[in-house]
Amino acid sequence: MLFQVENLSSGYGKIDVVRSLSLHVDVGEHVGLFGPNGHGKTTLLRTVSGLIPVNSGRVAFRGEDITGLDPRKIVELGLIHVPQGNQLFPEMTVQENLTLGAYVSRTDKSKASNFEKVFTLFPRLKERRSQRAQTLSGGERQMLSIGVGLMGMPELLILDEPSVGLAPLIKEELARAISEIASSGVTMIVVDQDVELLLGICERLYLIEKGTVSLETTDVSQVDQAEILEMYFGKVS
Amino acid sequence: MTPEAIVAIIASGLVSGSLYALMASGLSLVWGTVRMFNFAHGALVMIGAYSGWYISNRGGLAKVLQPIGRNIANNSEDWGLIGDILHPLGEWILSIKAGFGLLLGVPLAIIFCGIAGYVIYIFLVKPFVGKPGADLVVIITTIAGASFMQNGVQVIFGPRYKQLDRILKGPPVEILDTAIGLQEVLIIVLTPVTLLLLNLFLKRSKLGLAIRAVAQNDDFARLVGINVNQIYPLTFVVSSMLAGLAGLMLGGLFFILPTMGSEPLLRAFVVVVFGGLGSLPGTIIGAYVIGLIEQSSAYVFSLYWAPVVLFATLILVLIFRPRGLMGGENS
Ligand SMILES: Nc1ncnc2c1ncn2[C@@H]1O[C@H](COP(=O)(O)OP(=O)(O)OP(=O)(O)O)[C@@H](O)[C@H]1O
Ligand SMILES: [Mg+2]
Repeated sequence: MLFQVENLSSGYGKIDVVRSLSLHVDVGEHVGLFGPNGHGKTTLLRTVSGLIPVNSGRVAFRGEDITGLDPRKIVELGLIHVPQGNQLFPEMTVQENLTLGAYVSRTDKSKASNFEKVFTLFPRLKERRSQRAQTLSGGERQMLSIGVGLMGMPELLILDEPSVGLAPLIKEELARAISEIASSGVTMIVVDQDVELLLGICERLYLIEKGTVSLETTDVSQVDQAEILEMYFGKVS
Repeated sequence: MTPEAIVAIIASGLVSGSLYALMASGLSLVWGTVRMFNFAHGALVMIGAYSGWYISNRGGLAKVLQPIGRNIANNSEDWGLIGDILHPLGEWILSIKAGFGLLLGVPLAIIFCGIAGYVIYIFLVKPFVGKPGADLVVIITTIAGASFMQNGVQVIFGPRYKQLDRILKGPPVEILDTAIGLQEVLIIVLTPVTLLLLNLFLKRSKLGLAIRAVAQNDDFARLVGINVNQIYPLTFVVSSMLAGLAGLMLGGLFFILPTMGSEPLLRAFVVVVFGGLGSLPGTIIGAYVIGLIEQSSAYVFSLYWAPVVLFATLILVLIFRPRGLMGGENS
């Protein structure tokens, strides 16, 4: 098993947002997380990448216990977290952002070829390599955000809501790129509201409710669309 | 206004502007990354001047070492093998009666300021990083640190005024019949070179890039694997080295005093606010604008009115541009 979360609890202050949550990801797997807003998906991801302290439970990655490890060490092990809201270094160029994605020394040798990979995947970024990140469009920023993640040579790539707020056309383009990353053999966790998008990429889905896993499914057809709609929008009477 | 007066005003404006630029860019760098103001920054200017003097001047370190050197040189014959090895050392110490000179004094003083900046970070800043209200607490702790350094220097060096040797010796440069001292010319030329090097460091080196990354988005910086806990002290070190250089320049123009950094620190704060918090280009442009405004108003009105004109300009600029000349969204 590549990645395992066991009975994890964490949150802000004394309140647990993630409550005794367990999940696992095997090598080569693509796992989707979905669920209503504010139920702790981002908090879970921020906890496993070391930004938020663990209150209880355990996180293991590549056979190592990474619970409470410094984010830097976790990145060095190859767990790369592309955060929600296309976070970037806004006043730096596309090139500089990508360079910083390859900050850890593990990536030094393959830096040039990683640049190539990112630019083949997102040709727009190549065109805009000397443009500041804050002047990019929303879709381009999301591409750059993922590109920065790829520069870190992920053993496990975690994407938090890559499609949120994007126009359909850009969303499609992005979904295609993410599928391409997935089929190139990168193990992934993708969080998104758009279950359709997740179904196109993932073999397994977890439904996260109230900070814990309330449903796990490998048979994607099992997930009842009506049930999901009801969950997001409330009961339609 | 005569052309001579204009040249003189521009020259002295550029000298003040240079000193402010060196100091303010350090303040701005620390603010941008750590989100704190280092009120010991003026004391670091003073430390730069004193340590430069101590290393370079005949009355400083060289004087302290003389008895030791004499002791080694005279007695080493009785110490056997160790004496044979130490003897040349003693001779060498005796030969540097006149001090180590500025060639050694300047770089060593700058390094010493870097170390002092690190110590300030570890003792006065680090304990509060990430705690609520840290920015206010650190104002107090760094003021305390500054006062500790000022009084310490007063105790160690006594009340006698000191002055650094001039780095370049020779007749002043004449521009349009106006004489400008070589020290001033050196300051005017050396500052942009230093700022250019700082810019190269921030844009080209891995650590420089990391400093800017932490300044722009520290959360994301953590997620690409930057050790933020290492970047904070690094910015303090770089910023303190710039302060030290400013002190060395100032010490060649005026007397070296324990309080010599206080007035320039106040100006540097004005510059940082004027130029736009956290914006390095804004800070540098602001520094030269403030320097020139100060010197020209001192000439046109009087020395006493210069600060009034300065603050009036600052307020006026802030009314129309509340974030300063070049303050952006992120500052
Ligand atoms: N920095 C914070 N401080 C305090 N509470 C927070 C903080 N960030 C999030 N929360 C709270 O934690 C809960 C879970 O938020 P989280 O962002 O993990 O949800 P999410 O499932 O990712 O939602 P979304 O789908 O909207 O991204 C929410 O109630 C939120 O208000
Ligand atoms: Mg979220």
